[in-house]
Amino acid sequence: MQRPDWAPDTIDIERPSVARMYDYYLGGSHNFAADRAAARAMVEAVPEAPLMAQANRAFLRRAVQFLAESGVRQFLDIGSGIPTVGNVHEIAQRIDPECRVVYVDVDPVAVAHSREILAGNERATVIQEDLRRPAEILAHPEVTRLLDFDQPVAVMIVAVLHFVPDADRPEEILRTLRAALAPGSYLVMSQASDDDRGETGERAEAERVYRHTDSQLWIRSRAELSALFAGFELIDPGVVWVPQWRPESPEQAEDAAKAVFIGGVGRLGG
Amino acid sequence: MAESSGAGRSCPGAFARAWAKAVSGTSYLPMTQAQLEALLQRLTGRLAAAIQSEPFDLRIGQQVGAELVQAHIASAEGLGRTVEVIQLRLVRDLGLVADDVEDRMARLLATVATGYARALRDRTLDEQESIRRAAMMARAQAERALRESEARFRHQATHDPLTDLPNRTLFTERLAAAIAGADRVGVCFLDLDRFKVVNDSLGHQIGDLLLVSVAQRLRRALGEHLVARLGGDEFVILVESTAGTDDAVRVAEAALAAVSEPALVDGHELTVSASIGIVERPAAGTSPMELMRAADSTLHWAKAAGGARWSIFDADRNRRELARYALSAAIPAALDRGEFYLDYQPLTSLRDGRVLGMEALVRWRHPELGVLRPDSFIGLAEETGLIVRLGAWVLAEACREARGWADVAGDAPFVSVNLAVQQVRRPGLVDEVRDLLRRTGLPPGRLQLEITESTMMSTAEEPVRALRVLADLGVRIAIDDFGTGYCNLAYLRDLPVTELKVAGEFVTGLRAPADDPASRTDERILASLVSLAHALKVTVTAEGVETAEQAERLRAIGCDAAQGWHFGRPGPARQHLDRSPALTGTTV
Repeated sequence: MQRPDWAPDTIDIERPSVARMYDYYLGGSHNFAADRAAARAMVEAVPEAPLMAQANRAFLRRAVQFLAESGVRQFLDIGSGIPTVGNVHEIAQRIDPECRVVYVDVDPVAVAHSREILAGNERATVIQEDLRRPAEILAHPEVTRLLDFDQPVAVMIVAVLHFVPDADRPEEILRTLRAALAPGSYLVMSQASDDDRGETGERAEAERVYRHTDSQLWIRSRAELSALFAGFELIDPGVVWVPQWRPESPEQAEDAAKAVFIGGVGRLGG
Repeated sequence: MAESSGAGRSCPGAFARAWAKAVSGTSYLPMTQAQLEALLQRLTGRLAAAIQSEPFDLRIGQQVGAELVQAHIASAEGLGRTVEVIQLRLVRDLGLVADDVEDRMARLLATVATGYARALRDRTLDEQESIRRAAMMARAQAERALRESEARFRHQATHDPLTDLPNRTLFTERLAAAIAGADRVGVCFLDLDRFKVVNDSLGHQIGDLLLVSVAQRLRRALGEHLVARLGGDEFVILVESTAGTDDAVRVAEAALAAVSEPALVDGHELTVSASIGIVERPAAGTSPMELMRAADSTLHWAKAAGGARWSIFDADRNRRELARYALSAAIPAALDRGEFYLDYQPLTSLRDGRVLGMEALVRWRHPELGVLRPDSFIGLAEETGLIVRLGAWVLAEACREARGWADVAGDAPFVSVNLAVQQVRRPGLVDEVRDLLRRTGLPPGRLQLEITESTMMSTAEEPVRALRVLADLGVRIAIDDFGTGYCNLAYLRDLPVTELKVAGEFVTGLRAPADDPASRTDERILASLVSLAHALKVTVTAEGVETAEQAERLRAIGCDAAQGWHFGRPGPARQHLDRSPALTGTTV
């Protein structure tokens, strides 16, 4: 039967999901054969891929910790993926149980899994929405129920912006989100970059791997990502390789040369 | 032993730091380096205890392995490096002393690896199970959403958005099922009477609200019977498994009663009535299309009978109507095949018996039905608009034939042609007539156009102007059947009418003896008409003159001409042209 265009997508676990591939890089088992095959192809192309994912995850942890310690109590994590270890709500609620977290992902399996993980947590929830439709995210009843946009909110767009090509107008997405935020809010972003990595053919190979997944890869330079922080004041040290962002020890920053993710945190003044 | 006891839990020793360094990067560790070192420092104490325990305790090593996995140091590399660092450094860094230390180390590593592998396997299985459950839940959710949107789509496709009643699609489906599943079936076609008036006077919004209200009342009154809205103010009711016509009639009566309840619509109290066409018949051999069509035509009978009633389908009547319809549909082909021809009836002067003119009367030589007179097909042609083509043919043929009538002394009769209202309203009438006259060479004065009073009444300004142009050309304009309509004298003043043809009804009265009071009245009316017409310089022709007495009395009144059996029945032109005035039967 020809599926009419008003019908929602079904779940196809034969098609690699970037959320589950990421889980595999992090050492999780929340993935299926197709995800693992694609992730292994990626590791072949870019052997550091798992390390990159770990470094990015560590950046997320440090960023949330920093924000919670700076007094932020509300988090909107867009592109949250498969909740595996060290989720935003775990980190934030350990610092203050009152912290409220809304996870957003477009992958229905990731959302179903998150829902199960979050069952019973009154201050954390998950919705299925697309980063490319920020107005719908902001208007979602779960979002408006849990988050008070008159108070600072930290918007996390971590390791997901490289699935949003320029054609999807990321600057407009961010403008929409920014317009909803109160002064004192934060924006956390990281994404894949090939700045300083030279011409190794990795990028083409990585893009080829992701062509067969549910999302296409869109690499950005540090300058491009910095530009997307428009309207926010970048917190020191700005947009850097993620291991260099406020490392807990000098050794942690050593891997910077091998990093593939760049990231930063911006604050909305006012 | 010195370091193990002195290290405590707060300050990681060299071994714990080395261990932390070895495992970092083997998998994602959701903790700071300090937290990791603290954790491993604690586990270092457990390992030291295990290696020295007496007797050797298998459980400690296994627990350490499991705890590593729980702390997310959970990868093959994590285990490999752990084994390596314990083997290489534990005894040395902690200064442990035991007799059989190598033996104990081997057993310790075995237990750690066992506990680790077991925990990792459990964790893997748990995660696989949880992601599969999530995929299943997501799939169920997607399928539910699909079903819901399909149901919504199906509802939209099968229901009328205004009233939420089933629409034609659903009704036809249910009707087909009813036909397949029962011996008899009934359909009631319902249409509101004069609904257009509500729309026109109160607006479409009120009209729509009224339809919603009618839909609600029908649904409430008819309970189990399916009520659908076909569009506009048309509803249809399915009466399943009827035992006979009475079952359908009962439903129709309930529907009429429900519709006629007064309804308050947006502050207006509206009372409407409806007409219903009922078809109830055995299911075998019928189809939804046929039933709907039959119910629809039956509805029109109820409407034609005045509305606020039901009618039952009558096969004979339907056959007649179908035959009539088939006849009208055959007109274009019959025109192409030349099946039409003209007969003529003379308009005879009452003064000298001369044939002044001849009225063209169309005939259809139907290949199966024989010669048909206009009353069997003109009405249909008017309803279907075919009258325009047929009328144009009649006009052209009459002009062509009239041109051939010998005009020896300039007294050849004019030809009188009936024009239907649609012909008069057509914008091209003037050009058509002018072109015909030019082509045939017929002098304009030898063409008379007959239009009825009702045509005049329903005619707008533009066609009146066209008639005036034609009159100016010299074409004669006659009012046909005068006296049966409104007898509006205004157009006699406004239009260059040349002749009034007085309807046969008045002439019929003249058959009675002259002293009969009714007859006297008709005679006086006719006399007044004649004198009025003459005052307006309009001649008068009496129609339906059948006897010499009638002719004589009309002549006495001053009537100019007469038409009727007494002066000649319709027939070929030749037969009237050959006839001498003496033979026409007038007493002149």
